[in-house]
Amino acid sequence: MAHAEMTDLEATQPAPDTVQTKIQARDVRVFYGPTEAIKGVDVDILDKTVTAFIGPSGCGKSTFLRCLNRMNDTIESARVTGEILLDGGDIYDRRVDPVQLRARVGMVFQKPNPFPKSIYDNVAYGPRIHGLVANRAELDSVVEQSLRRAALWTEVKDRLDEPGTGLSGGQQQRLCIARAVATAPEVLLMDEPCSALDPIATAQVEELIDELKQSFSVVIVTHSMQQAARVSQKTAFFHLGHIVEYDDTPKIFTNPVDQRTQDYITGRFG
Amino acid sequence: MGEHIVSAFDHDLEKIEARISEMGGLAEELLAGALTSIETRDTSLAEQVTARDKKLDQMEMEIEEFATKVIALRAPMAQDLRLVIAALKICTTLERIGDLSKNIAKRAASISKLGPLPTTPSIIRMGRATQAQLSEVLSAYSGHDTKAAVAVWRKDVDIDEMYNAMFREVVTYMMEDNRMIGAGSQLLFIAKNLERIGDHTTHIAEMAYYIQEGAPLGDDRPKGEPVSPAID
Ligand SMILES: Nc1ncnc2c1ncn2[C@@H]1O[C@H](COP(=O)(O)OP(=O)(O)OP(=O)(O)O)[C@@H](O)[C@H]1O
Ligand SMILES: [Mg+2]
Repeated sequence: MAHAEMTDLEATQPAPDTVQTKIQARDVRVFYGPTEAIKGVDVDILDKTVTAFIGPSGCGKSTFLRCLNRMNDTIESARVTGEILLDGGDIYDRRVDPVQLRARVGMVFQKPNPFPKSIYDNVAYGPRIHGLVANRAELDSVVEQSLRRAALWTEVKDRLDEPGTGLSGGQQQRLCIARAVATAPEVLLMDEPCSALDPIATAQVEELIDELKQSFSVVIVTHSMQQAARVSQKTAFFHLGHIVEYDDTPKIFTNPVDQRTQDYITGRFG
Repeated sequence: MGEHIVSAFDHDLEKIEARISEMGGLAEELLAGALTSIETRDTSLAEQVTARDKKLDQMEMEIEEFATKVIALRAPMAQDLRLVIAALKICTTLERIGDLSKNIAKRAASISKLGPLPTTPSIIRMGRATQAQLSEVLSAYSGHDTKAAVAVWRKDVDIDEMYNAMFREVVTYMMEDNRMIGAGSQLLFIAKNLERIGDHTTHIAEMAYYIQEGAPLGDDRPKGEPVSPAID
């Protein structure tokens, strides 16, 4: 590049056209008993891209996110219809093992949910059950790497044997992030990963997200418009179970097309 | 546009718009004063214009400071963001218009020492047309009237044409009678300043449009043929 182009900020550059679609969702609907929570969502989630899901509380962001690694299977009343393809393969195919799927499509939940095990074992769990490491030394290294990436290492390196549940809320959330990245997933789903974090830890997680998108696809649900604007390249605005607008992030935050998006991001009564 | 859930945010944005309008009113007043001081050769009015221009500079700084705070503290998005960014640009533009008006007024002193000039009425006519454009763009801005903003933007070509006609007329006088050269150059400077004010006015029109539409107004604006690259 001969001169710096002033089209987009570094972190918000739209994905280059060569970037492949990682996940394709077609007419996805989710019912909780008789209630339809997701009402026909079509979206292409790109590889090597951070996609933000924004929208008012209860509009279905978490519900839709959980479809992407079949987490809704664990909810008794939930029923999912439509089609979700990961690299072209139907993730709801009967031959797909949900546990294997979740190693490829990792998830960080809205509320931190460490296992009642040591800090070390929380992170080591995934690599162990998926047989990703050959020996203890390799496992140690994966655990340290993952804790570093989640910006938790310096705080816990001397207490790896203590229970994960004994950490502060923000530390627990970073522990869950470390656990999710430990299996080196291809897609990382993050449901409000920073809602319990202080600004420094938030910045560290955002830096991690930026780093992950070099190789993976990251989908983040966030209530912080600033965070969505800072970390993502694509933004989907959810409203009452629909995606009403999906576009390049800079477009959504400077000149959204839909009035509902505009009202929401500018903090107006909709 | 509906109201913000946080009503203080509405008040902040309203304040920005109100201050821009106030600043616009003052810029218009400076231009009017400058024209009258030329027309009536009133040097004390010219001095008032120079003094009032300081107030305009002060207002520009206040708006900049306030807009910066709004960006930092409220993180405006979409149309709100455009409103704040446009305010930053418009206040700088209005400050420039004030400077140019001050420059025009300064010529009143030199002109007042000369005999009657045949071209003064044309330059005053051009000045009043420029002032009308400025006034219209300011109402378009405060009334969120995209159509009116576009109309002002298109009409700037009239100012350009008046400038070109003015330029030819003054040069003709200067060629016919070289005693006219001093006065003629003063008038050419005034005309050029007015033409610049016209351009700044179109910039405000572009900003008023951008706030509402979120896209640039484009660059296919009709323009008069430039005749005087030498005195830009
Ligand atoms: N386990 C469940 N059983 C029944 N209904 C549910 C369940 N989970 C979510 N819902 C309903 O589905 C709708 C979407 O909820 P969801 O949690 O997906 O929203 P969200 O956009 O993630 O909201 P928030 O921003 O508050 O996290 C809501 O009306 C909610 O009440
Ligand atoms: Mg949720």
